[in-house]
Amino acid sequence: MSVAWIGSQPVPLADAVRTAAKLLASSRCPVFSLDADVHGTRSAIALAAVLGAAYDHRSGDAVAREVALFTDHGGMFTTPGEVRRRSSLIVLVGDIAPAHAELFKGWGGSSPDLGDKAPRRWFQVSASDRPTRRGKAVVKAVPLKGEGLSLNATLAVLRAELQDRMVAAPLQNVERLKKAMASAQFPVFVFSGGSLDQAGLVMLQDLIVDFNSRHRLSSLFLPDDDDAWGTVLTSLWMTGFPPRTGFINSLPSYDPVRWDVQRMIREREADVHVWMSARGGEDPPKRGSAAVIALDKTERPARGAAVTIAVGEAGLDHDGVRYSSRVGTFTAVRAAEPSPLPSVSAVLRQLAEAMPGKGTLIC
Amino acid sequence: MLTRLTGGEVVDPVNGATGIRDIWIRDGVIVDPREGEAADQTHDVSGCIIMAGAIDIHSHIGGGNVNTARLLLPEHHKAHLPRPAATPLSNAGWSTFQTGCLYAQMGFTTVVEPAMAPYTALHTHLELADIPIIDRATLAILGNDDFTLSLLRDGKSEAMIDDYVAWVVGSTRALGVKVINAGAAAAFKENVRAFSFDDEVPEYGLSSRKIVKSMQHSVTRLGIPHPLHVHANNLGLAGSADTADVTIAATEGVPMHLAHLQFYGYGTQGKRAFSSEAARLAESVNSNPNVTIDVGQVMFGQTVTISSDVMRQFSAIDKASPKKSVIIDGDGNGGGGIVPYSYKRNYYGTLQWAVGLELFLLIANPWQVFFTTDHPNGAPFTAYPEIFELLMSSEARDARAVELNVAALEMTTLASIRREYSLEEIAIMTRASPAKLLGLKDRGHLGAGAIADIAVYRRGKDIAKMFREAALVFKNGQLVVKNGKVSAYRWGKTLRLNPPPDRAMVKRMKAYHEDRYGLPLEWFTFPDSAIDRDEPFMEVPWNS
Repeated sequence: MSVAWIGSQPVPLADAVRTAAKLLASSRCPVFSLDADVHGTRSAIALAAVLGAAYDHRSGDAVAREVALFTDHGGMFTTPGEVRRRSSLIVLVGDIAPAHAELFKGWGGSSPDLGDKAPRRWFQVSASDRPTRRGKAVVKAVPLKGEGLSLNATLAVLRAELQDRMVAAPLQNVERLKKAMASAQFPVFVFSGGSLDQAGLVMLQDLIVDFNSRHRLSSLFLPDDDDAWGTVLTSLWMTGFPPRTGFINSLPSYDPVRWDVQRMIREREADVHVWMSARGGEDPPKRGSAAVIALDKTERPARGAAVTIAVGEAGLDHDGVRYSSRVGTFTAVRAAEPSPLPSVSAVLRQLAEAMPGKGTLIC
Repeated sequence: MLTRLTGGEVVDPVNGATGIRDIWIRDGVIVDPREGEAADQTHDVSGCIIMAGAIDIHSHIGGGNVNTARLLLPEHHKAHLPRPAATPLSNAGWSTFQTGCLYAQMGFTTVVEPAMAPYTALHTHLELADIPIIDRATLAILGNDDFTLSLLRDGKSEAMIDDYVAWVVGSTRALGVKVINAGAAAAFKENVRAFSFDDEVPEYGLSSRKIVKSMQHSVTRLGIPHPLHVHANNLGLAGSADTADVTIAATEGVPMHLAHLQFYGYGTQGKRAFSSEAARLAESVNSNPNVTIDVGQVMFGQTVTISSDVMRQFSAIDKASPKKSVIIDGDGNGGGGIVPYSYKRNYYGTLQWAVGLELFLLIANPWQVFFTTDHPNGAPFTAYPEIFELLMSSEARDARAVELNVAALEMTTLASIRREYSLEEIAIMTRASPAKLLGLKDRGHLGAGAIADIAVYRRGKDIAKMFREAALVFKNGQLVVKNGKVSAYRWGKTLRLNPPPDRAMVKRMKAYHEDRYGLPLEWFTFPDSAIDRDEPFMEVPWNS
């Protein structure tokens, strides 16, 4: 089975690495789209630093929205473990990514053993014109919506209601929620970056801070993509900054507009694009003229890529460390089906060693 | 290879009087050379001071809350100036890489991250492993988790408590145990907003006193070298000196370390009801030789406060500057708050600055007081050189004081204190004593057999400059800093204890996690290989 291709031609791995290294060495403006476990991300950022490249996550827009909640505002949060053990009232905000269904299922099948220990109740805040799609099958939640109200507007009305202020647009079931919140010791609003836009994320956090002036209330942030959030955390300790960071004279610089890799490709600023897909199932973006080096979990050359190197997935093909929303932090994952496919980290180390005059990575 | 440092003035209080003598290094260790043996490499350090590498016992350098602070404040890396020369990643604001470089440049070779939430141990160790040059260690937080509180509430045996503490220390690869406002994080989840030493955690009926004493005795019984590390209740409040006093009194002769005592040095006198009680606290420490403290010195300027004391941090969010913060109700001992803050030269900032210096200068025994800013809570660690100068020169203190709030200074005894730290006292406070406190017999001194962690400073009138830019720094015998700049990179170790886990406790932990969290224990623990470095840990022996 081939594991490396130049264009559509299968080649030995060493040849593909050498060609990719040449492309990178001659690049004027290389960019990285990350999608790997912690160690793959560490190696990619270290290589980006050597090259003076910019990096972003493959799901750059969604990640940027989640990052902006913290960089621009902050908030009050809790962990999935505390929700399971302490929250008798869970309020879902918008549509939560289906990847979190198992988490909800676990909460649905258990009762809090700390705090008020009351049977768990579920509500879901949503826009009036949009039926709930995700997460619906797992738990039965009381809907909170108002006629003609967007999700953000619903949250705004709910915030006013919880402060006993006058509202123009009533919310369905709001009295039930208020009663439930009055008796629950540690209610939690659950959201993700994919379920709300920036204004909605901020409105939700302000609602929570308001409520905490007298009672307890927290929120659980479930990233739209766990691996992407792991990349954010790894980037923070390595460079001090979240993704959408670029290196100029070895200095990292965070700028969510300037280092938006998709924009850089679209506007033809980037000339080499290291595109990762350690989980597979995606194709590199079509737009732009950048030469693509694809590190892809694939059995065929990636569409339009100058070089494709097949890589394994942490937790499946090899051991690794990934962020998990089940525990709200990193967890070590063992290879479920060990395979000879190299890890992203291993390929990037080889790439660094093949670069003329560049040497080994710092991590 | 045999390396010789010659001509320098050796300041090594553990091994004798200060004087000019040679230091020899072979295979990363300080040695006595065989008679007539010649060095392969000689460094003439005439005019320089030679000390062991410095050890910081309390600096928040890695882990979930530190990383969240980076996320919250990408614009605030200027707080960590000055920055080193351009090398790969080295100018990254407040990154793990920069942390290692900046510490090494000042002659620090071992740093302890004092607050690791057990459930985020892997994250903490991933970060620590990415800090270059220096060795690191971390303390596991206990005292707010359901398992500990349930054991105590249910009157379980001391042996069972010890088994649990040992399991946490071993599975998280910690060097010791810390309690942070014991019981308060659990109480805050039940809407308790103030929590003192004798207040009780709802649901468990346990006082903070009971939790602290239980953990203190368990740590002592287990033979963990570092005494229980205590972040007491009521941090930062006017009147917090009373809390510190009752906590010290409660030690009853058993060793305990009180963290960042400066933040408890406040009384309620004066028209602002905020005064210095540093003199009283210093006397309390002086008369309790079993108690050690670190200061948590405040310096002026922008910083960010990072603490797992979630109740305290929540109370501070209105004072956040800039106006953003993160509060986390974490699992058991995790969570906390990240609140940016700017220390101003007003009444309050001046008083805090003076209280820290009073504690440094009024605690008589340098083996009892440790040099910290509680980085970054009181100030970034890059402020250390200026603090050394303030301690070693009353003239420098006077010069700084004239820029500050007069009314605040009048509430303190600082102006009347003329003590100046000697180099020997600095060496005790930042080298010998931290090594002793942490049980690190292989460092903190320059005797034969110690690892060759060595800092060489060029003697000069400018004390801050001398300590900011070490002339030479050796880590495990490797020259890593020359003339204040990193000259070679290496990866240090994370120092840990490794108690064998009690089988019954492991079984109990498995059942507990499956029952309460619905997940196997393996989700919360990790193998060394997860760090992805060769031998990332180094074991430190227990006290027998």
